Amino acid sequence: MKENLMDIICCPLDKHDLELDVTERDDEEILAGTLTCTECGETYPIEDGIPNLLPPDMRDEAPA
Amino acid sequence: MKGQEWYQQETVVESYEDKRFSRGGGRLTDRLEKAAVFESLAPVEDKKILEIACGTGRFSVMLAERGADMVGLDISAPMLGEGRDKARRTGVDDHMEFMRGDAARLPFPDDHFDSVFAIRFFHLVDEPEAYLREMARVSKGQVVFETYNRFSGRSLYNWALPMGSRLYSRSEVDSMIEAADLRLTGETHEFVVPFGLYRKLPGSVARAFRTVEETIDRTSLGDRLASISYWNATVE
Repeated sequence: MKENLMDIICCPLDKHDLELDVTERDDEEILAGTLTCTECGETYPIEDGIPNLLPPDMRDEAPA
Repeated sequence: MKGQEWYQQETVVESYEDKRFSRGGGRLTDRLEKAAVFESLAPVEDKKILEIACGTGRFSVMLAERGADMVGLDISAPMLGEGRDKARRTGVDDHMEFMRGDAARLPFPDDHFDSVFAIRFFHLVDEPEAYLREMARVSKGQVVFETYNRFSGRSLYNWALPMGSRLYSRSEVDSMIEAADLRLTGETHEFVVPFGLYRKLPGSVARAFRTVEETIDRTSLGDRLASISYWNATVE
């Protein structure tokens, strides 16, 4: 994902803003990191350049 | 949701496009579907468009190539990985983003996109109204979706699908649209012959079938036998 995606996405549960924490980057592209909801604190991973915004209750039944 | 696990098996994903859309009759349905999607959304240039259940990005990448500012959402990480690779190969990755998400709880604010669409999705869901309402929530204009019809040539072969598809009658679609506070602005009925059959045909036979089909499609009988419908709606 690219950083300007932050302008669009929000927490799928309460629709509040997310905070980006990057752990791996390749030029413009964010490859790994986390997105944390500024309201409920739920954390969503970024894996292989793709943010995983599945609500936590669906992560288990939908394995990567 | 039906197919949730099936679509996430890597072996299914790797062969998904190759098996379904690259050969013979499959290539023909791919072209026809892409044309139907493009026509329902055009003009797409600089429009913010969201595709629900984008899979490997067959439609999303095509629309990004035509200048749309695209977001593709799906539940399957392997499918999205394929899509992301394709977007990079075709050089549209600067205006095409993929993400995993739940179509019933979208990670977007209200009224964000110009258009939101879902193809080959509603046959998989148990509560179509909730999904359509969520699509309408994040659109400030258009919502396009496709259904498999209850009364069609498809009923004859539905047993052959890997999972039982949900089929829709006209009145079900009308009540879904009303429940989502949408207004229907257009509809297209297609494919007297179901996709699955096309896929099994060699290209030349499929094209001959298609010619006959187009003739029937233009009649009211064709509309009644159509196996899929595209519904074009607008936010009220």
